[in-house]
This record gives sequence, structure tokens and C-alpha cells, in this order.
Amino acid sequence: MSFTTDTTRAALNGRALFFKIASVFFASAFFSHHAAASGAIGDHVNDMSANLDNYTEEVVWLIGQVDVIVDTYENEGTKAAAPEAVVDHWEAVDFHSAIEVNYIPLYASIWQGLFGVRVAIEEGAPIVVVRAEQDKLEQTLWQSLGAVKVAAQYQERGLLPDVEATTPDSPIETLDVIKQRLDRTLAKYAEKLDDEAIGIVQDTYLNLFEGIEGMLIEQDADLVESLEIDFNVALPKAIQDGESVDEVRAVIEGMKDKLDRCKTLLKEAQEQRSDVF
Amino acid sequence: MIKGIAAAAASPLLTTPLARAVSVDDLDPLVGELTLYLGRGEGGLYENVLEAIEKRNPDFNLKIRRGPTAALANVIVAEAEAGVKGPDVFWAVDSGAIGLVSDAGLAKPLPADLTDVLQEEFQFERWAPVTGRIRTLPFHTVRLQAADIPDNIMTLPDSDLSLGWAPAYASFQSFVTAMRILQGDAETQDWLQRMEKRAKPFAGELGVVMAAERGEVDVGLANHYYTLRLKSGKPDARVDLAFTRNDAGCLVNASGVLALNDNEVTFNFIRYLFTTQVQSYLAREAYEIPLVSDVNPPDGLPPLDTISPPKVDLTLLADLKPTLDLMRNAGVL
Repeated sequence: MSFTTDTTRAALNGRALFFKIASVFFASAFFSHHAAASGAIGDHVNDMSANLDNYTEEVVWLIGQVDVIVDTYENEGTKAAAPEAVVDHWEAVDFHSAIEVNYIPLYASIWQGLFGVRVAIEEGAPIVVVRAEQDKLEQTLWQSLGAVKVAAQYQERGLLPDVEATTPDSPIETLDVIKQRLDRTLAKYAEKLDDEAIGIVQDTYLNLFEGIEGMLIEQDADLVESLEIDFNVALPKAIQDGESVDEVRAVIEGMKDKLDRCKTLLKEAQEQRSDVF
Repeated sequence: MIKGIAAAAASPLLTTPLARAVSVDDLDPLVGELTLYLGRGEGGLYENVLEAIEKRNPDFNLKIRRGPTAALANVIVAEAEAGVKGPDVFWAVDSGAIGLVSDAGLAKPLPADLTDVLQEEFQFERWAPVTGRIRTLPFHTVRLQAADIPDNIMTLPDSDLSLGWAPAYASFQSFVTAMRILQGDAETQDWLQRMEKRAKPFAGELGVVMAAERGEVDVGLANHYYTLRLKSGKPDARVDLAFTRNDAGCLVNASGVLALNDNEVTFNFIRYLFTTQVQSYLAREAYEIPLVSDVNPPDGLPPLDTISPPKVDLTLLADLKPTLDLMRNAGVL
């Protein structure tokens, strides 16, 4: 039995409690949370099936708005296109929070796509380059809508129960939570919230990884040392240096691979551990 | 304020308890329900202990709330003030949080038979330390021997050794709090400022120990178990432990448990934590220092009668704010 709270989503002005993941499959990717009564995330994330039509309309609308901006750029140039509006449009839709609480890797990709279009226009890139960025954004949005639809089915079947738990119960769960936090780091970086992204990295290291590395060092000291460098040097430096989202993603994916190796080692260690009684 | 740890200055760490630790076979089965607030720590090994207790007692329903120790302590106090039923037992990874709950008058006196199994220095009326950990100076063995390391923590920054520390790490901050208690704020701030000029900072204390092993620094400041664990996984690791004498540099801190009611199931549950089996398990698997008789310390610790921890009321270590202010003033944080 667990009951713990957490605070999330400063950007959306919402406080939320994460649901505990019911299925192993979803543990690594999907997660959901309650919306506080006053939170801007909204109760819709707790009843996604009833809101799928709305989400679909929003995705269609958003794609249309981006298309208008790109058309305007093609015909009238950067100033008339006002590309900064792509972010405003994205933040205006409920779907924004639906994908954020359900599939943070795609949430990061959406932000990457939004800024891809915006920056290409702001830099006066050829229209073919802007259209390529637009296409990537559209693909990501449709993919995200699909992910939310799948999550809604699981939610409806009670497979995303709203047990309040952000504190993992075991080292294995801790590793899953660390991977989720790394995905969130990428999302915040893609949102251009560098300080928040680094804060998540530091908090994850001190409050989660640090608690299990003592056990891991007995299994593979080199692996722990490599992750120490990733947490404390490589990832913060990639963010501080303003590397591309893809480059930061590569660092994070490398860390997640190492964390998977850690999971294997911890499972093996647990099996070999002596009994208490 | 409850009475804190008072390990006699310049005396051996261990003294003889009034009673021997019991085997789990000597305990009554647990029957009923109990709510435990468990401070996160030890990478799940406490969970293994709790699972084993549950498995052994099929008529016992254990509800666990987990979280950072300090946060849970604050929740317990807030729940009591609001008249909400809180936990029956609080198991904290550090004694400072125990002090916070005890100071609120919420801890119940423990039965004598329960605390008598602990060494005399660790017997208190309203809480019981479960296992200990000691501050150490891990050093690079290629260049140094233990005799080369200052045995006075206050003189460490005056040595010509390269140093490593993790100022943001919670155990380090408890150590600085102990130094404040023992040496006073002015001397502690001066020490921090002298160290800050010399020491290389790391995010965590495992990083400190690994830096000492690589020879990146000569000496670090860290809890004992990181070095023991590293040497367990890497027997040829080029690092060993040195200890200061009778100062904060060899502070013994402890996880602790307290009862929030005087139900028999509450006390019986706590008794399980002091059985030879649980104490041995935590020493063997978590490298923690057992505080009962007849249980060996973790492999790799030097003879315990050579260690001279200072007299410090561990429950005072919860008073972190002045420590953090001092560290900020010294430019360490």
C-alpha cells in the first residue's frame, strides 16, 4: 500500500498526483495523474475516453493553425507569419496535457517539432525546409493522438488506477521512475525550460539514483561510474551548452540503456540475496 | 527533547548490552494490523525485511507509507495536530527526523526488554536506533596509508592532501551539524571555508569514494558503507578507510524507530527489527552497523573498539537550517 504526493507541471499551473502504473508494459512509457481541482491540467485527463473527440478536433485545429502560419510565411515572409504563435496555439489545447501525462517522450517530440517550425521560419529557411519541419510535427501529433487513444482504453479498463505513488517501492521501480524523469527532462528541455530540466536531473540523481547506486556498485562499479558522469556532467553539460534536442535525447537514451543494464544486475542480485529469516 | 546518543568520548564504540538479542523464533507471531511510515533508504533492503516479517506472519496486515524521512516526520506531526490517525510506527533513516517527532510529544516509551538488547550508548526511552553508520575518511591506498591521514577532522584542511567532499549530500550536512554542536558555529564556518579552498566537490558520497579509489583525490569524506560496497564488488579497489578520533569526523549516526501508540502489536513489530536475524541481514546486505550484541559488524570495518565516536545528541541533527545558513555563508552551497 502506498500513498505519496508529488507536485508537477509548473508550466501548466497544475499540481498533480501520478497514477501508479498497472501494467509492466506501461510502466516504462505511460503514466497518468490526477488533476487538482484548481489545476489547469483539468479533469479531462482522468476521463480521456469521453474527451477523445475533443482531442481529435484540437489536433486537427492545431495542424490547421500551423499550416496557416507556414502558408503565410511562404507568401508574405517571417514577420507576417508570426511563428511564435505555434507555441501559444499548442498551449491552448487540452490535448497538450493529455499527451504530457500519458506519453512524455512524444510530448518532448511535439515541442521539438513546434520549435523546429518556429525556428526555421524565424531564420528565414527555404520553404521546403519549413515544410519538412511541419511534416515532422504533424506526424508526431498524429502519433501522439494515437498514444492518447490507447492510454484512454487502458484507463477505461482500469489499468491506470489512480493510486497515488511517486515514491517507488523497490530498486527496480526506482529505475523505472528514473527513466520517466529523464524523459521529463527531455520534455522540459524541448520546451526551452533549461533550468527546470537541469533541476529534474539533479533531483533525480540525489533523491533516486543515489539511493540505489550503493547496491549497484557491488555489481558493476564501472557502470555506476559511467552513470555518475552522465548525471553530473554529460547531461547537464549538454543542456547548458544548448545542444540540439536530438543530441540531448541521445545522451538520455544512452543513460536509459545503462539503467536497463542496472535493472538486470539488480534483479540478479536480488535473486542471489540471502533470506532475512 | 529526548535523550540522544551519548557514545562515550574516546571509548570503544561498542559496550555490552543489558540483554542479548533474541532470535525471531523466540517472538510471538504478529496478529492484527499496523501502519508503518518508512523513510526511504538502503535501496530496498528495509523492504526485504518488511516482506520477510509479513511472510512469517500471515495474520499480520502491514500498511506502509513510504517517502523521504524528513517529509514523513513532518506529516506525522501535521496529522497529529489535525487529529488524523497517523502511523503506529515510524522507521526513519536518520535520527534527526526521529527528534522532530519526539519533540512534538508523539513518541511512546518503549518497553525495557526491547531497548535492553541495544548497547548502553544506544538505549533511549522513546526511540531505538536500528542500525548505525559512521563517518569516515576514504583514502587512496597507492599513495597513502591510514597513518598518513590526520586523526583530527579540524586539521584536515591544513594537510597537504587533496580532498573530496559532497556538501549537498544529506549525511554530510548532518556531519556539519554535529560539528556545529561540538565545535560551535564560528569554528565550523572557519573549517568550511578552509575546506572549500581545498576540496573538490562531488554530487554524492559514492562519487567521493570513487574519486579516492581512482586517485583523483587523496582523501574524501563519506559514510562507511560506500567504501565497503565498492570493495565488495571490486576487491582490488585502491581505497581504504581512515577514522578521526572523538570528533564529528567519526560521527555515528543511526536509522531509528519509534512507536506512536503503546499497543502490543506495535512493540512486537519493533522487536522483530532487533532480532539477530534482521540485524545480521542489515549488516550483511546493507553494510550497516548492528547495535545489538552477538551480531557481527559488516565485513571490512576495522575492529570497532578502535573507533572513538563523539558524544552527540543525534536527535539534534534535525536542526538543519542553521547548518545550511552556515554553509551558504562559507560559500560551500
